[in-house]
Amino acid sequence: MTGTLTRLLRVLITLLSHHRRHPLQTLFLLTGLVTGVALWSAVQVINAHARASYAEADQVLGAQASHWVRSGSGEGVSVDDYVNLRRQGWRSVFPILEQRLTTADQSVINLIATDLLALPDEEAGTATGLPAGGWMQLVTPPHEAWYPETLAQQLGLEDGDRLTLNSGKALPPARVFSREQQGLRVFMDIGAALTLLDRSHLSYLVVAELPGDAAARLSRDLAALNPDLRLVANQQRLDLTELTQSLHTQLAAMSLLSFAVGLFIVFNAVRFSLSARRHTLTTLRELGVSQRLLLGAIALETLVMSIIGTLGGLGLGYGLSQLLLPSVAATLQNLYGAVLDYTLLVQPVTVLQAWLLTSAGLVLALAWPLWRQAQRSLQDQRDEPSQWQQDQRARRRLALGSLVLALLALGLYFQLNSIAMGFTVLALILFAGAGLLPWTVALILRGLQRALPASAWRLNWACGEGLAQLGTLRTALMALLLALTANFGVDSLVDSFRTSLSDWLQQRLAADLFVQSDTLDIDALLANPGDWLVESHRRNGLTVRWENRPTQIRGLNTDTSDTRALPLAAETDRSSAWFDGDPDVVLANEQARYLAGIELGETVQIPVGQQTVAFEVVGFYHDYGNPAYQFYLPYQRVAELWPNAGEQGLGLWLNDHDDALARAEAALVAAGARPGDWTRREDVLAISLRVFDRTFAMTAAINALTFTVAGIALLASLLAIHQQRLPSYAHWRSMGVSNREWLLIAGLPLGIGLLVTWLLSIPLGTLLAGLLIYDLNVLSFGWTMPLIWQFEPARSLFWLTLLVAGFTFAISAVQARLKLPQALKHLGEDAA
Amino acid sequence: MLRLNQVVKHFAQPDGDVTVLSGASFHLPAGRSAALLGESGSGKSTLLHLVAGLDTPDAGELVIDGHSSLSMSAGDWNRLRRDRLSLIFQQYHLVPTLTVLDNLQLQARLSQRLDPAFRDHLIDRLGLADLTRRLPHQLSGGQQQRVAIARALLHRPALVLADEPTGNLDEATSERVMGVLVELVRETGSSLLMVTHSAHMASFLDEQWRLQHGQLHQQHDQYNGEPAL
Repeated sequence: MTGTLTRLLRVLITLLSHHRRHPLQTLFLLTGLVTGVALWSAVQVINAHARASYAEADQVLGAQASHWVRSGSGEGVSVDDYVNLRRQGWRSVFPILEQRLTTADQSVINLIATDLLALPDEEAGTATGLPAGGWMQLVTPPHEAWYPETLAQQLGLEDGDRLTLNSGKALPPARVFSREQQGLRVFMDIGAALTLLDRSHLSYLVVAELPGDAAARLSRDLAALNPDLRLVANQQRLDLTELTQSLHTQLAAMSLLSFAVGLFIVFNAVRFSLSARRHTLTTLRELGVSQRLLLGAIALETLVMSIIGTLGGLGLGYGLSQLLLPSVAATLQNLYGAVLDYTLLVQPVTVLQAWLLTSAGLVLALAWPLWRQAQRSLQDQRDEPSQWQQDQRARRRLALGSLVLALLALGLYFQLNSIAMGFTVLALILFAGAGLLPWTVALILRGLQRALPASAWRLNWACGEGLAQLGTLRTALMALLLALTANFGVDSLVDSFRTSLSDWLQQRLAADLFVQSDTLDIDALLANPGDWLVESHRRNGLTVRWENRPTQIRGLNTDTSDTRALPLAAETDRSSAWFDGDPDVVLANEQARYLAGIELGETVQIPVGQQTVAFEVVGFYHDYGNPAYQFYLPYQRVAELWPNAGEQGLGLWLNDHDDALARAEAALVAAGARPGDWTRREDVLAISLRVFDRTFAMTAAINALTFTVAGIALLASLLAIHQQRLPSYAHWRSMGVSNREWLLIAGLPLGIGLLVTWLLSIPLGTLLAGLLIYDLNVLSFGWTMPLIWQFEPARSLFWLTLLVAGFTFAISAVQARLKLPQALKHLGEDAA
Repeated sequence: MLRLNQVVKHFAQPDGDVTVLSGASFHLPAGRSAALLGESGSGKSTLLHLVAGLDTPDAGELVIDGHSSLSMSAGDWNRLRRDRLSLIFQQYHLVPTLTVLDNLQLQARLSQRLDPAFRDHLIDRLGLADLTRRLPHQLSGGQQQRVAIARALLHRPALVLADEPTGNLDEATSERVMGVLVELVRETGSSLLMVTHSAHMASFLDEQWRLQHGQLHQQHDQYNGEPAL
């Protein structure tokens, strides 16, 4: 046993000696692994963090509330107003105080306080995790401050300790809980907190439930009590985990693509080192090392590399995730109203997944080729075909493999019914394209060689050199193709979306002013408006639960110009009935069509109180960015069926007089609106597009990073090519080839390879964008839009590729130039 | 054609400097051929590289085709190699993705001295007529070396430098390749300096020189004590 172990270690040390002798190859191998794992793990860390945040959000006080009462001015809700509301009988309202505090040693903590005695029993249970009455010490002097275990550890607190603030005041004695009910926050009784912090205002009030028309009554009571108070619907009540699932799947798919691009660098480094290592493996076998022992040593080497790659990748990935988190948080906030905090933790499962992924990648890229090499008989190795013939065969095999992948993709496409399947089709198409690339480049180079006249012998030589370089260049070109395709595809998607959204907003936001106010008396405003008003559109609505999702009911005025111009994505010949105010027909958003599966002409049952009412679906409309289902009904119909439906905004068309805006604003104030309750059309448009751009910032960031990894792959390849071709370059120099001729012959193949790669990325990227827009977008979000093809992203990517290629070629050319004198001295020596 | 005057060359090694040439002198007249013999590591290839300008001497002077190494820039060396010299190595160094025809025309095209009639003559003399459209990997070792020889001679160089040109070939093929190389060099009027460790291959050439302890010594015929012809 000891003897076998010693032999195994000896063989392993012999195998690892390669890395000592070829540090650059090892550096690139690890760079590929680390960057690939880093991008993947960054997204994993963010996804895991987001899921943890959603779970945590469900446990935080008030998360399940239907509404909040907040102050318009931002100064909070006074304790007197809260007490008055309770006295008026609003028993489902309870207070929250939230504040960031700095401790004496400059740590920042978040404090949340409530009145446990005012809480409904189930809320008190959620807040404390204790049965009723288990919290008497919290509410009676000297009170307690409750800490989640993680936070107590961070602050170095134990039960009974008092945390001192930088103001010199101390929090009540600590009690440490293993459950983290309030996230990483300190929980206190509200009376104790108000006294300690010397505050007279609460942060906001939480409203546990508002049955029937209670919301409308509470709004009126709030307006009467204090016009500064507003009733706000709780957007976070949506099922965040379900709603955000597709976004996280998309992020995970993009990060896997980055990992694949990183693996190309590993493939490249291993392939380059294989010829050098072949001799070691042959020698070891000639010395009597068994295949089993070799396999063990290769497995151990893979293990060592996977550990280094995982740790390095996770370290870099953690840093990256902190850079990406604000973008992801913005996306989630904009799309779903979900709030993420900015503290990231790497979970053990992420480490394990990263290691498994790295190991799988290494088995594919490192262990398998080495093992195959070790398995070949010594006779096989002597009869081995030339490197060029091997490359030619590899290209053919890759092209055939691509054909199989493309056929698989086609077969799967016709059965597409889930996001995961959609991404599988995308991956198959991308890899089919990548596999076809070397064969295509070779075909073009050979075609050029045949077509060029004898006088263009330098170009002919360059094409030949291109074929010689292709074996090493191919992995980098394939990686670049993946990056270019992903960039072009996603850019096209974003451009299409932006254009569609912009057009849609222009149509939807036809009015000059949009008013959203709790205090505005709309009837008074519209009773005698004056000639500044050309047209108005009043909307009402509410949210109900339909098909297990939040579903918005919106009442529209069917006579206004914006409603009349509403473009429908699909309609029946009865759609005009809706515009004529037919009370039994409904328009639905595309989300209801694609995600809930309703069809034109179908009858849907919409809940009204304890009953349901049937409506015939006569049309579908675009509703970009809405995670909820939505139905349009005539205003009066909504008011009849749901008397408690709230006002959902008012659109005002002004005449073209210079003073129209001023007069409108004066009329609005006179009717009870407050400054800030209305927004001009241009501002709404600008805000919407700004939100859109923020939402897609993260996609752009991941794409840019994938492109960077592809750039590293290209550099690794070019350095490898110039290292491999150095004896040939030395011989060219011995024939008197000038620097200019060398640049042409060695550099032109790269240019041709890049050009073909870029050209191929355009149809592939278009296909990718088409699949994303017409299939995956529909499956993920439930809305459609036309693909708007533009050349601009391709042009930008061309210049970017040229820049990266120019830079990497310059580095590798300088490296080759520096090594040339040495190579010239070794001319004539056996290349092996 | 080629003159070496007191050429010195050292190499730095971990255990101190090694002198491979310590004032070596040598003269090869135009149209003559010489073999350079010596033990492994004696500096034969280094000397050949100095003559080709691929390496630089620490002292002394080389005069090649009337050009002194003391006054030549890197560009001058490059032009000299392209137009007036040619090198033949053990590994052939054919471009694997160019046809035999393109490979053998390469240096003549670089020096813009491609003579189609002479090309056809060389192809014929070297027995390559049926192979011109093939790629290098489709040829045997001997055939590849014949292509390398044709490439080296097609631009009619003044001096051919060969480093173990038959090192990779079997004895019978080596003799055939050597025979045709010497014949063609004579035919083109070029001079030939060839490094070899084989006394038999050296016997094909006009002169034999041995590099020993950093000095060049002409070998004499072992039977009559005269310099070998």
